[in-house]
Amino acid sequence: MGEGPGMGSRAPVPHQDKQTRKGGRSMKSTRILAVVVTAVALCLMGAGAWGKEVRGVSDTEVKLGFMVDFTGPGKYSGPPLAMGGEIYTKYINDQGGINGRKIKLLVEDNGILPNTTMEAAKKLILKDEIFAIAFNLGSSGSTAILPLCEENQVVMMPHGANKRFYDPGNKWVFVPYSTQYNMAAVAVEYVLSKNPQAKIGIIYQDDDFGIDGLEGARNAAKFMKSSIVKEAPYKIGTVDMSPQMALMKEANVDWILLWAYLPQIGSILKEKQKMGWDVKLIGNNTTAYPTLFPLVGDLAEGYLAVTPVAPWENIADKYKQIIKKYGDFDKVNDPNFPTGLLFGAWAYCAAMIEGIKNAGRDLTPETLIKGLESMNLDMGGICPNISFTPKRHCGYFSSMVLEAKAKEKKWVIVQPIMEPKSPQ
Amino acid sequence: MGRSFKVSYEKDMALFQNNWVRAWLVVLIVAMMACPLFLNRYQLSVLNQMGIAVIGALGLNLLIGYTGQISLGHAAFMAIGAYTSALLTTKMGLSFLVSLPLSGLMAATLGLVVGVPSLRLKGLYLALGTLAFSFIVEYVLFHWDLTQGDRGLGAAPIRIAGLAIKTEKEFFYLIMSCAALAVLCAKNIVRTKIGRSFIAIRDRDIAAEAMGIPIAKYKVMAFALSSFYAGVAGCVAAHYQKWIVPGSFDVSVSISYIAMIVIGGLGTILGSVLGAILITGISPGILYVVDILKGSYPALGKLIVDFRLAIFGLVIVLTLLFEPRGLFGLYRRCKVYWKTWPFRY
Repeated sequence: MGEGPGMGSRAPVPHQDKQTRKGGRSMKSTRILAVVVTAVALCLMGAGAWGKEVRGVSDTEVKLGFMVDFTGPGKYSGPPLAMGGEIYTKYINDQGGINGRKIKLLVEDNGILPNTTMEAAKKLILKDEIFAIAFNLGSSGSTAILPLCEENQVVMMPHGANKRFYDPGNKWVFVPYSTQYNMAAVAVEYVLSKNPQAKIGIIYQDDDFGIDGLEGARNAAKFMKSSIVKEAPYKIGTVDMSPQMALMKEANVDWILLWAYLPQIGSILKEKQKMGWDVKLIGNNTTAYPTLFPLVGDLAEGYLAVTPVAPWENIADKYKQIIKKYGDFDKVNDPNFPTGLLFGAWAYCAAMIEGIKNAGRDLTPETLIKGLESMNLDMGGICPNISFTPKRHCGYFSSMVLEAKAKEKKWVIVQPIMEPKSPQ
Repeated sequence: MGRSFKVSYEKDMALFQNNWVRAWLVVLIVAMMACPLFLNRYQLSVLNQMGIAVIGALGLNLLIGYTGQISLGHAAFMAIGAYTSALLTTKMGLSFLVSLPLSGLMAATLGLVVGVPSLRLKGLYLALGTLAFSFIVEYVLFHWDLTQGDRGLGAAPIRIAGLAIKTEKEFFYLIMSCAALAVLCAKNIVRTKIGRSFIAIRDRDIAAEAMGIPIAKYKVMAFALSSFYAGVAGCVAAHYQKWIVPGSFDVSVSISYIAMIVIGGLGTILGSVLGAILITGISPGILYVVDILKGSYPALGKLIVDFRLAIFGLVIVLTLLFEPRGLFGLYRRCKVYWKTWPFRY
């Protein structure tokens, strides 16, 4: 139509008839129209992309979910955990927020069980429209809600997590805390570093929590060319530990690893005294709280526990000042307050917020993942520094070993933060 | 009023008693079809949970309400259905439509096994027997390599006639269809000889036997039917949640189902539905109230969260106190009041 190769000029050709000229004008109009339509479409697409709404993120605010247990079997942990998250959030918001946005923390009761956790997660994701879950207590519940998180592109940070949460791992799951597998490895390596010939037994809860500890212990013992000589499981809810202790006595172990909770530890310490047996005990982070002292009194003396979170006495003053300003300092300063829980939750919040900071102003689930995978967060001694990589979604494998001092009713560090030597 | 009299057994036993019932049913179906247009994803998810609970509650009511056989193992049968479907769809690649009845059948088969001791056990002893069964199932799920313990098991995504069921809206239609079918089947079962035999056994088993009803056969059948319903509910729940863990089917779930049928009304189909809706709806209802109060009265909102379980219990106690026949009794009272108005009977 006059524009093909060799036709060159755009000037009207004298012999062109009226129809051809009309066709040329029509073609030109069509092209202009096409250009305009394309430009408008591109603008709209661009505007759509710029103005694309991200669930839980507005110009001024980012909504984060924080799921703790207020009513279930782990309800004792709910208030200090929630307090940790809230204090850190208030502190950050007071500094002006992150990338111009304030953090809105929605604390929800998850009842720790899978069904109740699912209810809470649905409420947070589908109704409250949160951006991410900064904390979720309970491994079974975290497992149950994982498909929901994947489907809705929600980054989740499970607490009480197991090795499987980072190995093989999941794009949407980040664990800013050492797992029971890692802590059991630290416990075994600590014991064998004191006495390479030590005979080690383990009493563990027969669920994911205990089995993760058992596997970590087995792996570390094998790595150290030793073995766990006796394994004694107990069913969830069992408090009488005399059969398990009898098995340990029969095997004549020197050390017992305890992958159990406080009520069971109390029973074991009492049983140990009853048996008049001077066996050494080392437990996990869930027992490294001052609540042990009123439970067993002087029997707590010398009991060891592996945990990534430093005791209150070792927390730097600047963090105590933050608590003084944004929380109930008198409550936290009480010798019976489980500060380990508070700072555990604090670390989760700090990790999530650091990820949001690294993601920049263009905050989406994908940029958050990139932000988290590039972070290296200095925790100032509260716990090991937290860093994730695209291949490792566990913040750290390290822990410290604490010893209970019954008379002073406090925990002291006997081995500082250390990463297990065995492969994790 | 005159038109309400039934002059034949057929009319008395009819599925739909009159045209009003049919008309209301049509309204209900239209309303349900329109629900996804007006409700958000969270509200739909609550309705979906209610739909699954309706299926499970119907099964338990057939056993406890109609046959008088108490069971604390309902959640275990749901778990059997859920794990069966998860394994069939993921390991064997079967489609949901095949695995759905197979899950029910697997649960029913195990229900038959549990039903046998029911011939010798009654009341609390039977309750303990079924509770023991639920512990055995929980133990197996935790320790059998195939079920992967606390790590859980995924259920394959549902595809029906090439259509993937993914969203809350799509699940809403699927679950409500299953629930409607379950209601229809239950309604028909109780109208048949089987249903009447169940009722006779519940009311007086010795008299039923004297009338020629083979008690052993019907007691075991009640267990199998109830388990079938539980298995189907478990299967739907597994695909809806996409991932199942043994903790999702603990004894507290069985107790919730008993609460559903007791509050709804023992020995009634409508009661099962109403009870399932109420018990499943209490928790989200409380959350809604808390959210409303959070802004103006934050302390009150927190108090409600702290006392959530107490409120849950209070609702149950008040319902039973003021209407021992449950929500179905309440419905009957309203209906009679309406029909006889302005007279009071």
